[in-house]
Amino acid sequence: MRKRPGIGAIHKQRVEQERFRGKATELQDNVFEQMTNQMEKFRTNLETFASKHRNEIKKNPAFRKQFQDMCASIGVDPLASSKGFWSELLGVGDFYYEIAVQVIEVCLATSPRNGGLITLGELRQRLIKARGKAQHHQEISNDDIIRAIKKLKVLGPGFSIVSLKGTQDTSDILIRSIPGELSADHTEVLKAAEAQSFTSVKALKSTLNWDDVRCLQILNELLRDGVAWVDEQSPEKTYWFPSFFKPLMSEDEIVLPPPN
Amino acid sequence: MEFTWPWEYDFPPFFTLQPNLDTQRKQLEAWRKLVLDYCRHNKIFVLDVQESISLFQNKAIDRQLSTEGINQVLESLLEYNQIEWCDKAKKQCLVYWKNPQEWGNLIYRYASDKGMTNTVCTFYELTAGDDVQNEEFAGMDQSLLVKALKTLEATNKAEIIMFGGNEGVKFF
Repeated sequence: MRKRPGIGAIHKQRVEQERFRGKATELQDNVFEQMTNQMEKFRTNLETFASKHRNEIKKNPAFRKQFQDMCASIGVDPLASSKGFWSELLGVGDFYYEIAVQVIEVCLATSPRNGGLITLGELRQRLIKARGKAQHHQEISNDDIIRAIKKLKVLGPGFSIVSLKGTQDTSDILIRSIPGELSADHTEVLKAAEAQSFTSVKALKSTLNWDDVRCLQILNELLRDGVAWVDEQSPEKTYWFPSFFKPLMSEDEIVLPPPN
Repeated sequence: MEFTWPWEYDFPPFFTLQPNLDTQRKQLEAWRKLVLDYCRHNKIFVLDVQESISLFQNKAIDRQLSTEGINQVLESLLEYNQIEWCDKAKKQCLVYWKNPQEWGNLIYRYASDKGMTNTVCTFYELTAGDDVQNEEFAGMDQSLLVKALKTLEATNKAEIIMFGGNEGVKFF
């Protein structure tokens, strides 16, 4: 029987590939080793800095923000770093994880009322209420909360931050604890409704210059998402947002388990 | 003590039955809680739908739940065994901010604490007597009392007896 053609060539090719691969790994290893050395040096410096300013970082929200910003500008995320390092050294990781867990708890506890949309201001109020009375438990900034929420992204698209005006005003930032994106139109409507906690087709038409169909469409979507409630007893149908409804903010305390 | 209305009571759309079924479920849940809390606070054992219309409206914000809305709330309460109709016309209902079983247990505990076992006491004594004025079951509607005592009968803790046109109960 005739020998099949090509087997030898294929075999040869495979051997060559193998060799290339070996070389590539070798090169990569070298680069990796260099990187590791550099990282090691950098880490040591950062560690020294961090442990020197440990208390400051833990206690002072403003300093904490600066430290975070510094880390961010050099491409290091202290929260994403290896598990042991930061939590052992600073407790910073724990600090944010703790806030993140409490954020989830507050959002879950309030979502039956607000359809999963809460202002940063209310969230912070409730967090402070829920946390211990000690001074360092109390001092959490909006920045801390936002950072903690951003960490929640790794768990999936469940939590998102919606900025209404692009400012740092706490009532203009909404935390959304239900999956899915808010469209630009939805955000516009929320923005328009924020001050009074309700809006209507007529009001939207005049502020946003939209036509009836578009206004109604977006309002109906917000109803469907459970974010808005409709009131049919006013001269014109109005759409209300529990998230902005003020009496709700001072409503009875929502009891959370104490922090560890 | 003044009754504390929940935040929803000041929230205008609370008085419009919500088209979104999820939201409506939460709305009805809040209404059920409001009705029960209100009745507990005012010690209402029998709710007369016509007379309690003020519970379903808030004059301060000029809103009131429609008849259909009220019916939905009552349906929902019925579904959760939190009310029971007294009549076919659905004009009045017993409100179970405590259910008959819980009332039974409460009355039984009272009776045994007072050493009233193996004696007969009348329904009147149990709900309107001087000794029970500070008890939660003071002023209880008789049909509810009977339901409560029947739960005790079922576990052989009490027996309802008739004597000389009076109704009473004997605790064991």
